[in-house]
Amino acid sequence: MAAGFKTAEPLEYHRSFLKENCRPDGRELSEFRTTTLNIDSISTADGSALVKYGNTTVICGIKAELTNPTVEAPGKGYVVPNVDLPPLCSSRFRPGPPGELAQAASQFIADIIESSEVIQPEDLCIERGKLCWVLYCDLMCLDYDGNLLDACVVALLAALKNTKLPEVTVNKETSLPQVNVDQRHSLNIHRHPVATSFSIFDDSILMVDPTDEEESLATAQLTVVTDEEERLCCLHKPGGTAMSGEKLQECMSRATVRQREIQKLINKVIHSVNMEK
Amino acid sequence: MEACSISNLKLREFGCEQSLLSRPDGSASFIQGDTSVCAGVYGPAEVKVSKEIYDRATLEVLIQPKVGLAGVRERSQEQCVRETCEASLLLSLHPRSSLTLVLQVIHDDGSLLSCFLNAACMALMDAGLPMSCLFCGVTCAISADGQIVTDPTAAQEKESRALMTFAIDSTERNILMSSTKGSFSVHELQQCIVVSQKASEKMFQFYRDSVKRRYSKYL
Amino acid sequence: MKETPLSNCERDFLLKAIEEKKRLDGRQTYDYRTIKVTFGTDYGCCFVDLGKTRVMAQVSCEIVAPKESRPNEGIVFFNIELSPMASPTFEQGRQSELSVKLNRQLERCLRNSKCIDTESLCVVSGEKVWQIRVDVHVLNHDGNLMDASSIAAITALCHFRRPDVSTQGDEITVYSPEERDPIPLSVYHMPICVSFSFFQQGTYLLVDPCEREERVMDGLLMIAMNKHREICSIQSSGGIMLLKEQVMRCSKIASVKVSEITELVGKALENDRKARKAGEKCGFAESLPQERITALKTDKTPVEAMDVTEKVDDIIQKAEVPPLSVPSPSLPVPGVGQVGQNTWGLDEEEEEEEEGEEDRDSSGEEEEKGTKTQKEKDKDEVVELSDSEEEEVVILHPDT
Repeated sequence: MAAGFKTAEPLEYHRSFLKENCRPDGRELSEFRTTTLNIDSISTADGSALVKYGNTTVICGIKAELTNPTVEAPGKGYVVPNVDLPPLCSSRFRPGPPGELAQAASQFIADIIESSEVIQPEDLCIERGKLCWVLYCDLMCLDYDGNLLDACVVALLAALKNTKLPEVTVNKETSLPQVNVDQRHSLNIHRHPVATSFSIFDDSILMVDPTDEEESLATAQLTVVTDEEERLCCLHKPGGTAMSGEKLQECMSRATVRQREIQKLINKVIHSVNMEK
Repeated sequence: MEACSISNLKLREFGCEQSLLSRPDGSASFIQGDTSVCAGVYGPAEVKVSKEIYDRATLEVLIQPKVGLAGVRERSQEQCVRETCEASLLLSLHPRSSLTLVLQVIHDDGSLLSCFLNAACMALMDAGLPMSCLFCGVTCAISADGQIVTDPTAAQEKESRALMTFAIDSTERNILMSSTKGSFSVHELQQCIVVSQKASEKMFQFYRDSVKRRYSKYL
Repeated sequence: MKETPLSNCERDFLLKAIEEKKRLDGRQTYDYRTIKVTFGTDYGCCFVDLGKTRVMAQVSCEIVAPKESRPNEGIVFFNIELSPMASPTFEQGRQSELSVKLNRQLERCLRNSKCIDTESLCVVSGEKVWQIRVDVHVLNHDGNLMDASSIAAITALCHFRRPDVSTQGDEITVYSPEERDPIPLSVYHMPICVSFSFFQQGTYLLVDPCEREERVMDGLLMIAMNKHREICSIQSSGGIMLLKEQVMRCSKIASVKVSEITELVGKALENDRKARKAGEKCGFAESLPQERITALKTDKTPVEAMDVTEKVDDIIQKAEVPPLSVPSPSLPVPGVGQVGQNTWGLDEEEEEEEEGEEDRDSSGEEEEKGTKTQKEKDKDEVVELSDSEEEEVVILHPDT
């Protein structure tokens, strides 16, 4: 019966839950799904992490390569993020070139890396104008059930914290780079940006961490990214229902709490792996 | 608490011309200082079966850069403009039809996204499409010394440490769209929102004046 | 979007009018529509209005490696973009027959006529040359796109200034406009394209066809010529047979039209140069018509910031202050962490099993299983006391 109701009248189905201030999966409006983090999941990558937000699963692999810095910024390395939504993660994605959602997500991640200054691009430079690191951050969604952006940001941050780069020196005589694979250093992570996404239902009800179904029924989406100093790196609301300043303030308070939770989680997991070694 | 100084706020001179192109159903060019965007709207018209939505019209937004082809940045701007328009247009009045909004960059001298939004709104108005409210775009920059600059030029954007663009609706003056760059405190954000709401009053007054002028008998 | 078909009566009407030497907009057979040339704020940006047809050209440049076959010549690249704004039939990102045809013709007209001195675009022979890129955007399609595009492209090329460069050994310095005045391109001559449309198997001929006329025409002849009456390219399409006399007549008309247009473009460039020299405001913003009821312009407007601070304080104070402490995450095994309760109603046993699997995946150590009971105990403790920061240490296993 419930299943039939859900298929025929998805909006009414959700409304009947929201009337009681809860959601079809039993969560409260301001409750996140269980978040699981595993780091060092890919042994061949320089850094990696797997994140689950309920069913949504995102894996991030970081590959570092040596390259020439660009002419415009000779003292900087660079980070190239890419979000991939393969047909495997949901039936709505088709094989072929990245769709609009994947492109928008890639741009969002690139913006966050730039705005939050999670890594100083100067740290990636080995020799000015000659040699620098380029970090390819590939984020792949394995299972899509809404809230892609939050999962991507956590995966990226954890993978960056997990990344260890080998020491590189430039030989004075041959001016060729020499890589010392045994000597590895962690990246210097300056900030811990964490994203918190909200969906607005029926132009009024604010709920955190939406599932795929909730996203498709929502009238607006909103993502807030904050770091540990309570500075905002991004307030991304592509459109939809209009919101007042007061309502946005509510979202930001929730995002601050979430940031603390996630930063603690990442630190602990990283710590536990280091202890094991 | 961190706060920005908010004295001497200004909008550059701005202007708009509607119905300047003969082919589109609605067109407008919007100018803010030297920044300029041309917009054209087609529709409601026949829709491709693959894009058909059974209970409302399909809105497509295309942004054409001045040099080269549209890239990922244009895609994300397209998404922002599209979802803002979707929120204000009454799309359910034209089910199973298509609306196409094309935005051509004429010159970029800062505050481009807000200029896109203003040109889009003027073109939608010119096309006579039913809307639940109007919207306008306002860009605020926070300069390195903590000064809020409204409607920044490209040079001011480059020097700023944070940049925010909001779309504001005409009924409640609430935030329809927000897109930011750089990092800033909650207090700074709230300040920029209030400033943008103030600036939007000027824009909506301009919208009103231009409509009044259009339907007047004399100049 | 599909094109609205032209009805038979409309077609007959148009053809009948042409037979009677009449045109829809009251023009004579050899008349051009009004041509208006305006310039944008930056160098190399030009708008051309040909009646209702409107195109914009923008020239840009960058330093690239030259072609191997021509190591000391710069590269000139043309692209006509049929924006979906110009007509509902134009589609985004698809090469239509029309766009291929226009691009080919523009290349013949401007590149193959060698009107730009490409050798002066060389920076370091065989290594670095300037690539000049001309983007022509069609904004409104009301016929005769080719003539409008060719005027816009050549005018933009004449208007364009590239940054000055200097070479010292391997180092190349590109100067900003503030440091050194940018340099104009050397343009030898200005080829301009003139289109003729033919009706009734070549019996009737019209100059500068509008969109409606283009749709009923049988064939098209495009002649690109400069003011020295040198033909740069000639192209006939549509599959009509033309007599020698007809082609000669067209070329005579073209030479008249080309000299008129060249003069107009020259004047427009001169006016713009004067305006820029005098430091006046120039560009698109200034060309906004003031006398139309569809256009409106305001001056710089101040924004009052009276009660901004009060409003902001009000919003922030009203908001709830987020709690400082957050629950500790649980760590079932090293390398795996979890926050939030399991809300799927799984019982404990299943959950543990799941974690066991993850554990094997991540570490692959067999002895992990033996320590599992210990771990469960630890984990339970954590969940119970998950308030303060202190017991972060508790979950670390002494035996791993």
